[in-house]
Amino acid sequence: MDITNLPIRKLNTLFSKKELKPSELYSQIFDNAANSEASLHAHLTLFEDENIKKAKESDLRFDSGTSESLLDGIPIAIKDNINIKGYKTTCSSKMLSNYTSPYDATVIKKLNERQTLFTGKTNLDEFAMGSSTENSAFGLTRNPWDTDFVPGGSSGGSAASVGARSSVAALGSDTGGSIRQPASFCGLVGFKPTYGTVSRYGLIAFASSLDQIGPITKTVDDSRIIFSAISGDDPRDATSIVNNQLDIPSDKTAKIGVIKELMGDGISDEARNEVNKVTEILKSSGYEVKEISIPIIELAISIYYLIAPAECSANLARFDGVRYGLRVDGKTSYEMMENTRAEGFGKEVKRRILLGTYALSAGYYDEYYGKALQARKEMIEGFIKAFNEVDYLISPTTPTQAFKAGEKTSNPLEMYMSDLCTIPANLAGLPAISIPTGVTSDNLPLGVQVMSRALSDDSLLNFSEIIEKEVQFNQQPKGWM
Amino acid sequence: MNYFQATLRKKLSKDFDIQNIAKLASINLSEDEQKELDNDLSIILEHVKALSDLKLDTEQKEIFIHPLEKELELQEDKLVESLTHEEALSNAPESKDGKFVVPPSME
Repeated sequence: MDITNLPIRKLNTLFSKKELKPSELYSQIFDNAANSEASLHAHLTLFEDENIKKAKESDLRFDSGTSESLLDGIPIAIKDNINIKGYKTTCSSKMLSNYTSPYDATVIKKLNERQTLFTGKTNLDEFAMGSSTENSAFGLTRNPWDTDFVPGGSSGGSAASVGARSSVAALGSDTGGSIRQPASFCGLVGFKPTYGTVSRYGLIAFASSLDQIGPITKTVDDSRIIFSAISGDDPRDATSIVNNQLDIPSDKTAKIGVIKELMGDGISDEARNEVNKVTEILKSSGYEVKEISIPIIELAISIYYLIAPAECSANLARFDGVRYGLRVDGKTSYEMMENTRAEGFGKEVKRRILLGTYALSAGYYDEYYGKALQARKEMIEGFIKAFNEVDYLISPTTPTQAFKAGEKTSNPLEMYMSDLCTIPANLAGLPAISIPTGVTSDNLPLGVQVMSRALSDDSLLNFSEIIEKEVQFNQQPKGWM
Repeated sequence: MNYFQATLRKKLSKDFDIQNIAKLASINLSEDEQKELDNDLSIILEHVKALSDLKLDTEQKEIFIHPLEKELELQEDKLVESLTHEEALSNAPESKDGKFVVPPSME
């Protein structure tokens, strides 16, 4: 039995029965990291020494029967745009290559209270802007199923790490699909909770009205355990909300909708087949499944690429060479700022800052940003209408399987299209999950996405677990071995 | 540059000035970067233009900030634990006497 394949609840049982020690698990996890990092480059930093000490403390708690947390001694990887006090938080950018965080993000504080171990910080597209992890200033991450392919992004390092079993689970952040798309590309579960249920305090902001932290895991139950640990309102994040969950049925009284606009043009046959496979299973189990149309979804990419860059241009204005991060000299403050930002930001980040600056500039605000906000509102209403008819909405997570490294780097729009199915949930603030369901003819995994009403995260997880059990996806990546 | 991109560039050239945008964003771009980004942004803007033709029912509705429309509240004015002075300055490229140091504003 490979203990690094086990889900969290099973590991906790083994710890409690004294059949396995957290330090033994950690040692196996660290061996996997040592064996996979050279080919995958999932982590930017590994925290070995601290963890040996912390894992032994976990051993003692289980020995004495005083452990009270399901996450005690569980090694979790953290995306490198989430602050852990005393460690570097680089956002995979030259701008922050020497930034050491003076504080813990709220999610880190909550995981620390539950005695979780952190394996290290994982690679991402610079400032979480990208869909392949190729935009990292510190080198790309590769897909554990086949190293010629990308792991997706922006949380590609987190997904590759869980895929290679160099962590039991990972935290990512999702602004337009950055948890769900890499989870789909790496054969994992990726869960973006309802906007506001998880505090963003300590997550380096990209687009604040869309950003959300969530788990990448091997099973739905692992995502549930982590979500339950990290959620809750937080006075340090004014947009956080009280996690009062709606109870929606997940048994066969639940009604299922397949989103028409995400099953047509631009979706590969293989991605469409995965959705059909799942809906057939649901129908045969007695669920009512019907097609639902939300026409404005066809404009999701356009809406997103105005709103996200606009918010990004405002959020990234803080990187000015004054308070933290890189400074490149100049004769005046202005010159220093212009030189610092020229040197510190990579191509994609510059592209989005300029796009956002333009969309917000005098004379164009109404035409671009204002219009995008109105269309976003229309999308929220489109989802409300859809949820008057059904309880869960199903679509592919990604239009295609993972693509090859270098394949889409020359055409930004083509890269943006890989987030076609995931962006709507961010625009509407809805919970959304990617569940692995199958493997393509290239032996690459694919996932199916399920969305539900705002604040029905727990019900969504229950329903997803039913799909997970029916589909029985239990294949593992071997491409990195 | 192909014909499509050249026509597009011409169409957008009236209102889209990459140098001006870069100045507003305080990013010093090389000539090569200007060319490349000018081209990329033209393609992206052409794509998002689909939106400006859209007629929406929500024209008059209030613009929102929070996707779940949470009303933002003012916090109570009370002291809470936060970064110390030293911590706040710990990542500064240059500091002196507890303050950030920057080059002069004018030459």
